[in-house]
Amino acid sequence: MPRNLLEAVLVALLAGLLTVPILGIHIQVDGIKVSLQGNAMPVLAIMAVVFAARLFQVPQKAATGMAYLSQRLPRPPRLAASYRPVLIGLVIVVAIVWPFTASRSAIDIATLALIYVMLGLGLNVVVGFAGLLDLGYVAFYAVGAYGYALLSMHWGLSFWACLPLCVLMAAATGCLLGFPVLRLRGDYLAIVTLGFGEIIRLLLNNLNALTGGPDGIGNIAKPTLFGLEFAREPSTEGGVTFHQFFGLDYHSIDTLIFLYLVALGMALLILYVINRLIRMPIGRAWEALREDEIACRSLGLNPTTIKLSAFGFGASTAGFAGAFFAARQGFINPESFTFIESAIVLAIVVLGGMGSQLGVILAAIALTALPEIARQFAEYRMLIFGLVLVLMMIWRPQGLVPASRPRLELPERAETAP
Amino acid sequence: MNTISRNVLSAAVGAIILGLGSLAQAEDTIKIAVAGPITGPVAQYGDMQMIGAKMAVEQINAKGGVNGKKLEAVLMDDVCEPKQAVAVANQIVNQKIKYVVGHLCSGSTQPASKLYEDEGILMITPAATNPAITQQGYKMVFRTIGTDDQQGPTAGKYIAEKIKPKKLAIIHDKQQYGEGIAKEVDKTVKAAGITPVLFEGVNKGQTDFSALITKMKSEGVDFVYYGGYHPELGLLLRQSREQGFDAKYMGPEGVGNKDISAIAGPASEGLLVTLPADFSTDPANADLVKAFKAKNEDPTGPFVMPAYAGVEIIADAIKGAKTEDPAKLAGYIHKNSFQTPIGKVAFKDNGDLKEFQFVIFTWHADATKTPVK
Amino acid sequence: MSGSFSILEFIQQIINGLTLGSIYALIAIGYTMVYGIIGMINFAHGEIYMISAYIGLLTITALTVQFGIESVPLILLATLFVSIAITSAYGWTIERVAYRPLRSQSRLIPLISAIGMSIFLQNYVQIGQGARDLSMQPLITGGWRFGPDGGFQVYLSYMQVLIATATVIFMTALTLFITRSRLGRACRACSQDLTMTNLLGIDTNRVISLTFVLGAGLAAVAGVLISLYIGKINPFIGFEAGIKAFTAAVLGGIGSIPGAMLGGVVLGLAESFSSAYLRTEYKDVVAFGLLVLVLLFRPTGLLGKPEIEKV
Repeated sequence: MPRNLLEAVLVALLAGLLTVPILGIHIQVDGIKVSLQGNAMPVLAIMAVVFAARLFQVPQKAATGMAYLSQRLPRPPRLAASYRPVLIGLVIVVAIVWPFTASRSAIDIATLALIYVMLGLGLNVVVGFAGLLDLGYVAFYAVGAYGYALLSMHWGLSFWACLPLCVLMAAATGCLLGFPVLRLRGDYLAIVTLGFGEIIRLLLNNLNALTGGPDGIGNIAKPTLFGLEFAREPSTEGGVTFHQFFGLDYHSIDTLIFLYLVALGMALLILYVINRLIRMPIGRAWEALREDEIACRSLGLNPTTIKLSAFGFGASTAGFAGAFFAARQGFINPESFTFIESAIVLAIVVLGGMGSQLGVILAAIALTALPEIARQFAEYRMLIFGLVLVLMMIWRPQGLVPASRPRLELPERAETAP
Repeated sequence: MNTISRNVLSAAVGAIILGLGSLAQAEDTIKIAVAGPITGPVAQYGDMQMIGAKMAVEQINAKGGVNGKKLEAVLMDDVCEPKQAVAVANQIVNQKIKYVVGHLCSGSTQPASKLYEDEGILMITPAATNPAITQQGYKMVFRTIGTDDQQGPTAGKYIAEKIKPKKLAIIHDKQQYGEGIAKEVDKTVKAAGITPVLFEGVNKGQTDFSALITKMKSEGVDFVYYGGYHPELGLLLRQSREQGFDAKYMGPEGVGNKDISAIAGPASEGLLVTLPADFSTDPANADLVKAFKAKNEDPTGPFVMPAYAGVEIIADAIKGAKTEDPAKLAGYIHKNSFQTPIGKVAFKDNGDLKEFQFVIFTWHADATKTPVK
Repeated sequence: MSGSFSILEFIQQIINGLTLGSIYALIAIGYTMVYGIIGMINFAHGEIYMISAYIGLLTITALTVQFGIESVPLILLATLFVSIAITSAYGWTIERVAYRPLRSQSRLIPLISAIGMSIFLQNYVQIGQGARDLSMQPLITGGWRFGPDGGFQVYLSYMQVLIATATVIFMTALTLFITRSRLGRACRACSQDLTMTNLLGIDTNRVISLTFVLGAGLAAVAGVLISLYIGKINPFIGFEAGIKAFTAAVLGGIGSIPGAMLGGVVLGLAESFSSAYLRTEYKDVVAFGLLVLVLLFRPTGLLGKPEIEKV
């Protein structure tokens, strides 16, 4: 106990040393006068908390508790193959019906969460499956968003016509950037992609003639349902809006529900495509490459092509999500595409469990909902966000739902087959 | 605790009380959302807006409220980010609030205003100066501050007619506000026959301007117009003085903040600033200024009085039009004029003020200002 | 832009670039040392620098305003001492709390933890000191002027000389420490093979802690210098400086200490020249573009050793 006590005192003193200059003394600037103001309360409070925590070994207990919990957590039940489609179908039905009962801001946040689900799934292919650390993912997101905004502004193309174009544009950008840099190893790749992300953002901000510079692009058209607009009045002469066509009253929430459903559809499409891809040879090659590049090469696989395909696919997914983001937002400017956005998507992938689709979806929802829930803590919002990231990495580094590989269970007797 | 966190605290408490109380007395109060940055790098400008709006709500309530109902300010934090602004706007719609005073940054006002227009919510921004906001044909959107295309020409004309610089440089911060205003100045001086030798952007948050200053010094620039906010200009002034580059500087209301003297020190002496007339020196506002001082708040910030005016216009319109329907109020506001701390105001069809005067001030090293001539 | 090329302006731009580059180099050391030993990108390092700038500004204000001390060298030494001490404690604590428990995990886990730490620290300072800029008046003013009277004069301020001198002194000290001392040898051993070093009876955890403390200490020097030189700080300066310094570290070859110095100087000069002879809004495009170009032709940076992959 005395040793424990001594350590607790030392740790509390350290906490005091660290917090005094930031929390304990305020620099007051009033006009040109600068003065200092002491405020001992927060420092003493933190020292007390740290002292108590250390004395009673709270972090260790919490860690053991979490470890215990994560072992006891119900593993995703290994369902018989025939039940899986039923369960998935049920979840999809709930997701479709839910918005008709939910509140406006809940739908709005859910739509945002779905955008992050799309981004997370896309980056998961790059980072989780292919093992390429991409810190500039937001660049392709921006390409998709600006692609749609510009196409719709200059040529009046509809959202649905632009969607494949945006995907192609983002994929092309991805391959263009990827081709020269993918031969770089590990962390060099990370910093180069980070640099590219910044370059794209700066170019968007600087090329005023093309992108509107910092003014961004406004009044971007929302998606339509087979040409039916969601608005109080049709934007074009002779146009028909959704509620006029069906003879309904105008409810502004319809627009939100529709956007949510579009996002849901897009996310499901991405999920489906990825699920097919990872079972195909190319998906296997991604994972093989992540595990051992040299072994791959000696098996005759071309690492550059494989990396490029993963990189390009991830980029196209981001472009897909970007186009929707522009449509949902109605206004985009370069400030929506800063590095922190890339960091959050990466956090989603790691927090979810790299390579785990379900985990990524859950993490995307959690990380979008968390700041909104924490909104009532106002200025403590992002503080909590950062803290949660650190704690989750310590307590559950394998992610919310660790990845399990798709595998075929062969019948017993097939084992000896050549 | 600083004022920002105090505001946040009161906002949080307010929001909780509101959440609890709204069921019981849903119809007894008229809620006005005050949306702007409470946190983040431009929170100090949001602070001006918040104190102005809250003061208006308090004073109107002290006089018995509006048609027997009390006003209630609901503070909303958009951190000046477009994405968050949309989320905030949706929350406002969700809480069935019908009037908004805000937002502050043009970038967040723009996407939010579309939502308000669609949802029939009355919005008065006391701070967003980008002309595009009122050029979208919206009926529910107003502003109680001048625009960049009024302020830019005021500055441009002054430069062309009074300063007549031999070599003019125009610098901006590559943000919507700063670049917008810099372009207006550029247009005006070019029309008057002066071609700037330099029109260049710096980065928001940049701290080292020595390379740019060397370039201007070597070009022989003798007058610099800076479009942007005070942190960057403060450093530009300070580093210019250090390098011995003695051109005169001028900036928009975004630099007219006491902090510029804290950053630039003696180098801020003689800086020219276009600002809305300082409403706090208007004798008609003497009582109001006293009320701010009594609460230890600073009434001289450029957005304080416009925010006050925004709340007051909503209250007066509700009284005058005898309705709380925002669409009818918008019509009423378009047709009538209002007596506010920023003077007697009336609106154009697009929601801009019919008249808004920008005045040129000389800034002093002790963070005071005097009108030029 | 300018009509004729002026050699004096060119010299001035070199001075500007070297000053900026010295600051980048001091921060870059922290990235490069941590990476060299545990192969981790410490994203929170920029925030360490930001915190040290706050501590520096606070100490200087306390000494001048509160205690009325006027001797510049005394203020300078006292501030450096306080800032290095507390900032190193930050470096140590962060490693202990947020990274050590993750030692055995894949490299991405500590990276996310570092990003979380960076967001946390930024907001922590914002809550403590507010989001608005804090500033103070220059302590050291004046300098030398060279060039014709009435024409363009090259200006070299005492502050710039101080920054360059301090950078050289601390870098030399660090190099001597790494190459000559016992602990330095342990550091080098760790960066070559962590497991093997551990087997040889060296407490690798202590060495890693030391790395964080040294990195934070140098960031503290940069933080104090910046609060003296620029005189304006806010909770967001760490992010930008961090990314630039990290770029500098990679440019020079991550893991190499001379590389970090070279990278910082090259980056500072690149920014200064692109601002001078191109347009200021493109200086960051040039900086990152340069990084990409260098890595395309030298995939391990200017001074980095190629990593040979063993099976």
